Amino acid sequence: MADDDAPSDSSLLVIIVDTNPNQRYITEDPKVLTGCLDAVIAFANSHLMQKSRNQLAVIGCHFHKSEYLYPSPGKPLDVRQIDGQYELFTLVEKTIKMRLVNLIKSQPQEERPGESLLAGAMAMALCCIARMRREASPGLRLSSRILIVTGSSDTAAQYINYMNVFFTAQKQQVLIDVCSLDKHLSLLQQGCDITGGLYLKVPSLEGLLQYLLWVFLPEAWERKELVLPGRGRVDYRAACFCHRELLTIGYVCSVCLSVFCKFSPICTTCHTVFKIAGPLPIKPKKKKMKI
Amino acid sequence: MSESSKSKSASNINPSPTLQCKDLHEYLKSRSPQFLETLYNYPTICLAVYRELPELARHFVIRLLFVEQPVPQAVVASWVTQTHAKEQSKACEALSELSVWQEAPIPGGLPGWMLAQSFKKNLKVALLGGGRPWSMSSSLEPDGKARDVAFLDAYALERWECVLHYMVGSAQTEGISADAVRILLHAGLMTRDAEDGTAVITRAGFQFLLLSTAKQVWLFLQHYLHTAEKRSLSAAECLAFLYQLSFSTLGKDYSTEGMSNNMLVFLQHLREFGLVYQRKRKAGRFYPTRLALNITCVKDGIAPLEAAASTGYILVETNYRVYAYTQTTLQVALLGLFTELIYRFPDVVVGVLTRESVRAALRGGISAQQIIRYLEQHSHPQMLRSETAGIRTSSVLPPTVVDQIQLWESERNRFTYTEGIVYNQFLSQAEFGVLREYASRCGFLTWHSERARTLVLTRAAHDDVKRFWKRYSKSS
Repeated sequence: MADDDAPSDSSLLVIIVDTNPNQRYITEDPKVLTGCLDAVIAFANSHLMQKSRNQLAVIGCHFHKSEYLYPSPGKPLDVRQIDGQYELFTLVEKTIKMRLVNLIKSQPQEERPGESLLAGAMAMALCCIARMRREASPGLRLSSRILIVTGSSDTAAQYINYMNVFFTAQKQQVLIDVCSLDKHLSLLQQGCDITGGLYLKVPSLEGLLQYLLWVFLPEAWERKELVLPGRGRVDYRAACFCHRELLTIGYVCSVCLSVFCKFSPICTTCHTVFKIAGPLPIKPKKKKMKI
Repeated sequence: MSESSKSKSASNINPSPTLQCKDLHEYLKSRSPQFLETLYNYPTICLAVYRELPELARHFVIRLLFVEQPVPQAVVASWVTQTHAKEQSKACEALSELSVWQEAPIPGGLPGWMLAQSFKKNLKVALLGGGRPWSMSSSLEPDGKARDVAFLDAYALERWECVLHYMVGSAQTEGISADAVRILLHAGLMTRDAEDGTAVITRAGFQFLLLSTAKQVWLFLQHYLHTAEKRSLSAAECLAFLYQLSFSTLGKDYSTEGMSNNMLVFLQHLREFGLVYQRKRKAGRFYPTRLALNITCVKDGIAPLEAAASTGYILVETNYRVYAYTQTTLQVALLGLFTELIYRFPDVVVGVLTRESVRAALRGGISAQQIIRYLEQHSHPQMLRSETAGIRTSSVLPPTVVDQIQLWESERNRFTYTEGIVYNQFLSQAEFGVLREYASRCGFLTWHSERARTLVLTRAAHDDVKRFWKRYSKSS
């Protein structure tokens, strides 16, 4: 399908925007969200501006659910030009803002905001890409990528979901780019590395649009020609399945390859029973030959 | 002393004039900077120009878009990896040619680049909003008789085929105006017959028919714009309006309110060619059709945004057989240009590509590339599908056929034409030797013959050689 070397006819970009209200930059100053959102919309429009056949989808990711912000399901909004902006861009902007308001309003009031459902949103994005590929006219070379813009920290709670999504994306030749607004995200960075995307932690939120346009706008095959921030060392620690903690050394089930930080007699994933061997027998050291 | 008589070779370098189809980039390049300056006052044009730029150039523009001061050229160069320096210089050249950016000195003496003010301003307007709305977007009451996309597609196709049918001289001559005929004549696609003054199709015309619809429309409009200036229509205004149309939404109505008289005239012309649909001349609203939307896609490879109605109908097999599921005489006639038709049924035509048939087409000035493109563009969905299942090739056609057509063409191109000047009738072998020495040293020599004492030098060298000869004859 997508080929990294050949320029594609059409490029599909799915942007996942984390709108979770408990992100640090939002709790500190809620107005910053508007700025970031404007930057993301301008970036989305610049993607559409590249080629007439480029496609776009935006997914809003909240703590209770993820939803398409653009394109809106059903009939598109009837938008007339109000200023010199290209009509399509106005439509994108209006739709995203309107649907985001709906999404935020629909959040349950009594619950404390939990973790953003990023893995779920990515799975939605992959479904969207798969659908677009199916519907694309034969002979059209479509390249697709996912961009995640988030300020939340990644916890290992969704570790398995993340890994499933990453490897599916790799298989589908979908690039995953991550733009972190706040903290270093080691899990998502793994995803970028696996799928061949780029990872960037934005040093300051003021220049967000410039960073987006610089690093994430060029397509995969264009990136080879450009000098872009390099991929640093990637932290490939896995999270254990029992306490979701990142490990360097742990126990692995020999049947299903689940990772545990402590030894357990029954694997919680595949229910394999392991014999309790007691403490590992200490091999008597071979006596060194005396000279 | 020798008298070197100079006879100039025929200036006709290219024996078969091929049809030139410039894309927007080339079209704009051929215009004056002042014209470009006025064009960049329209956000639509800026948007269209931006899309036409090479990828790297687009990257440069988008990175400079929000920078207010000039940026050192060295910095711009550092954005690209060393291994792609060639692409980088090409991108820079393209931006300079279209005066999208200008050189600007930076305090400290370094050369820098700066985006043209009007281009930067209006691209921002198109991207982010602000400025005045485009002329056709005043609000409208919902149309009681709104038209759907399928209707518009059918309408556009019918109108455009009208023009094409007129060109191949089908009996149907109604529905085409004197203006359209004038453009066809101006473009050299048709000429007046010497005897009875009727318009007949030229070789260029046949090549025109082989282009994709989007390219046809664009070429036609280019010539329209050329003639527009004579009719006191401003080409810049027309071009801006065309691009406005190309950025509109299919199936949506737009208002004619606030449009100048000139533009209303222009709109009527576009209506005639099927680029817009209007129920009545005074309806106050119009619908852009797919033809108008396609203007921006000239450069892209596969037929873009093609309507479902006009999907391909040609199957090409590895045994050079061509099956075309069509009923229209136009398509059959076009196919007949380069195939030998063997069977004809009510809805299918079978032909075969032979050396003779293809060579006949090549003699007519049609290039192999054009034939291949035509077959590719109109290939049946079945062929497109089989391509994705099997081996990936650059073309949907069987590789043997593509290669063979190209071989048949290269078979004819055994000559390379170079313009040159003949020097002969030297009085002595010594004089001939001196001049040959000089010419070969400077790299002017194209051909020489010792026995006939004849030299053929490049055209550009003529003045230089003349000076040399004067000096030489004076000294001896």
